[in-house]
Amino acid sequence: MAARKYRLTVDGELSDIAGQAFEGMTLTRGAGTTLLVGRLRDQAELHGVLQRVSDLGLTLLNATVVDEGEET
Amino acid sequence: MTTYDTRSAALAGAAGIPLAAAKLAPPRPRAGLVERPRLARALDAGRGAALTLVAAPAGYGKTTAVRAWTADRDAALAWVTLDAADNDPVRLWTYVAAAIDGIRPDLGRRALRRLGADPGLIEGAIDELMDGIAAYGGAIDLVLDDLQTVTEPDGLATLAYALRRVPPNLRLVALTRADPALGLPRLRAAADLAELRADELAFTPAEARELLVERHGIALDAADVELLHGRTEGWPAAVFLAAVWLRRLADPRPAVREFGADHRFLADYLSAEAIGALDVESRAFLLRAAVLRRFTVELADQVLGRSDSADVLAELERTNLFVARLEHGGWYRVHSLFAEFASFQLAAAEPDEVAAIHRRAAAWLEARGLLVEAVEHAAAAGDHAFVAGLLVDAHLALVRTGRTRTLLRWVQALPDGEVIAHPELTVAAATAATMIGDALERRRLLHLADRARDERPERVGPYVEAAAGMVRASAVDRDVAEAVANGRRAAAIAGTEPAADPVLVAALAGHARALYLAGDLDAAWAAALRAADHPDAARRVPGHAFARSTLALVAAERGRPAAARRHADKAKALVTGAGSSRSWLGANASAAHAVVLAAEGRLAEAERELSGAERFFRDEVATVHHAWLLVVLADVRCRRGRLDDAVEAVRSAREVMEDLGDCGRVPALAAAVDARLAQAASRAAGGEMLDPPSAAELAVLRLLASDLSTREIGGELFLSPNTVRTHTRALYRKLAVNSRADAIARAAVLGFLGAN
Repeated sequence: MAARKYRLTVDGELSDIAGQAFEGMTLTRGAGTTLLVGRLRDQAELHGVLQRVSDLGLTLLNATVVDEGEET
Repeated sequence: MTTYDTRSAALAGAAGIPLAAAKLAPPRPRAGLVERPRLARALDAGRGAALTLVAAPAGYGKTTAVRAWTADRDAALAWVTLDAADNDPVRLWTYVAAAIDGIRPDLGRRALRRLGADPGLIEGAIDELMDGIAAYGGAIDLVLDDLQTVTEPDGLATLAYALRRVPPNLRLVALTRADPALGLPRLRAAADLAELRADELAFTPAEARELLVERHGIALDAADVELLHGRTEGWPAAVFLAAVWLRRLADPRPAVREFGADHRFLADYLSAEAIGALDVESRAFLLRAAVLRRFTVELADQVLGRSDSADVLAELERTNLFVARLEHGGWYRVHSLFAEFASFQLAAAEPDEVAAIHRRAAAWLEARGLLVEAVEHAAAAGDHAFVAGLLVDAHLALVRTGRTRTLLRWVQALPDGEVIAHPELTVAAATAATMIGDALERRRLLHLADRARDERPERVGPYVEAAAGMVRASAVDRDVAEAVANGRRAAAIAGTEPAADPVLVAALAGHARALYLAGDLDAAWAAALRAADHPDAARRVPGHAFARSTLALVAAERGRPAAARRHADKAKALVTGAGSSRSWLGANASAAHAVVLAAEGRLAEAERELSGAERFFRDEVATVHHAWLLVVLADVRCRRGRLDDAVEAVRSAREVMEDLGDCGRVPALAAAVDARLAQAASRAAGGEMLDPPSAAELAVLRLLASDLSTREIGGELFLSPNTVRTHTRALYRKLAVNSRADAIARAAVLGFLGAN
């Protein structure tokens, strides 16, 4: 399965310290949400990220695949 | 030693798994927390349901609410805190049985003995457990905390099995962050599910006020509480963290207003504030203890390099700060959501400290026989040599007792180089991957075995060679001729080298299956018979069951239905007895059983069984077994007159074969099904019958298409069995067929069976 770029939106602005939980993804904060963007190798890696979202008690607002050309 | 529950440790011996007392001890019910009688009422209202599900995200106070409720009940309590290692059903049920045994000694003993058998008998153990609970008679609450950690289908299947057997005096309460795949809609529809979810667990404004103002004495007015409640949406963890923070402030009201307008993530922000509000001593201790999650005073002293953990913990517990003492065994537990954020703080402040704590904890746990817990910490520390060393000692026992999930998880956590350095791990894990039906993982591990042969030839002995050949022959991943050669070689090595002798039965069974798929039925029969008749066959359940399946296939094809039935039944009994009916081996036994059913003319049952097996073989990667199974399915569908579905199955088989090399006899079998399909289609096009069946014959014909016996058909139609036989003979003549199966197929083609 090919790697794809994913964008997750969670409720609340995450600190840099808690952002360590999502190593390898880029965090962008604004308007009370945090965007997590990164290339994930496969579904297993995506599920790992979703697991972290749940472990930290974060509310997942949106999760989507980003086309490589598209601006994030 | 005070850190061990000695009885649990003794029980551990019974099942070969050392038990961590911390997993079986509920937290102590805590005084001084908010009373929430409405939650107890909601839980009480769920009596009579097979399952009570308490489902909400982290920090919703699930554990606290259920613990408070059980404390006020007249029921015996069995509590198990689950973790990811419990995806291994043997481990999961060993803990459950030990928890039940804690209610009254011997209540779980028989189940534990079954689980400790070789290999563990899970479904039998669940039956023993439920029978024991029913016979006990008194009310029992069984609480499974952190059920979200059990995600693998085989672990969940054993829970679903247990749910159907819950006696009326047992309340099964599951606490989880994610709804489990246990058929919840069906349970809901049958009123067999009671639920307590986030909406109900969230604090009401009155409860938030009670915690903040009354328990913690924080000077807030109704509007402040309203603001804080609105901002946290009643999330109990956030309200609690806010209390720890605000109670240190001389005037908390500006902080609340500022917080109300803040956009930061609550648990993150509030954890940092709460940690900042702690005294230096408590903070240093908590940040480190958070890495451990669960610990005793001794473990904390040892790992954190101090001697006063007992005093610090007593104070933290007294002031309700993030640490809960467990009921027995001397264990403590850090609140999991807080632990996440506290660990980040420590990693940011002292980057090396986290790994060092994990490493020391792993050594402490290993010395006390808690291997699973030791491995989790070693893996978190990135200490792969430690994990590999433990696995080399434990892998044979793990395979033998059916704990394939645990073995695979640990091997997967290792980098390739570390696995290659221990070639016995590549074949043990490849066997485990095969058993759970993960063909992709099997191929990856076999590839590592090849690399081990190139890079570490001195470590690849006859055992590894024979085992690798055995897996390749059994799985028939890509190429039948290659599988036959691998099987022959594996059987030869295992038959001559004493070190490889334990693999012999499985190697012969694998060789036999490869020969069967190659179309050499005589040789397949001979090899499978050698495996089944081997003096060790009784101890080598997987190899024995696999050989019996192959014997059943060959006998069915040779027109010896009685022998075929005997072997197929034996194969089924072996895999069911081993609790592995939902495994690759179980699917194989099902497929062989289906072929026997089809030979007996029981086509509807055969198709049901084949469809189930086919779902198991369907994988991301193509295998010859899957192609073969699809062709067999197509054949059965054709004979049932389900022509369109048969065509679809043959087409899928050809698609699977496109990705493979030599598929042995499967293409020829597919061509034979094509021919039969063409014949059926041309007969259908032939149209009218000269002598159509009478109304009475048609009634019999429709029931022939079911699984009913002649006698049962007579019963349905109020006819004597002899009359049914007369009608059946007339039907065979008119349809120009010689068997019930062909009659049904022909009738379906001619449209006598309605839509089917």
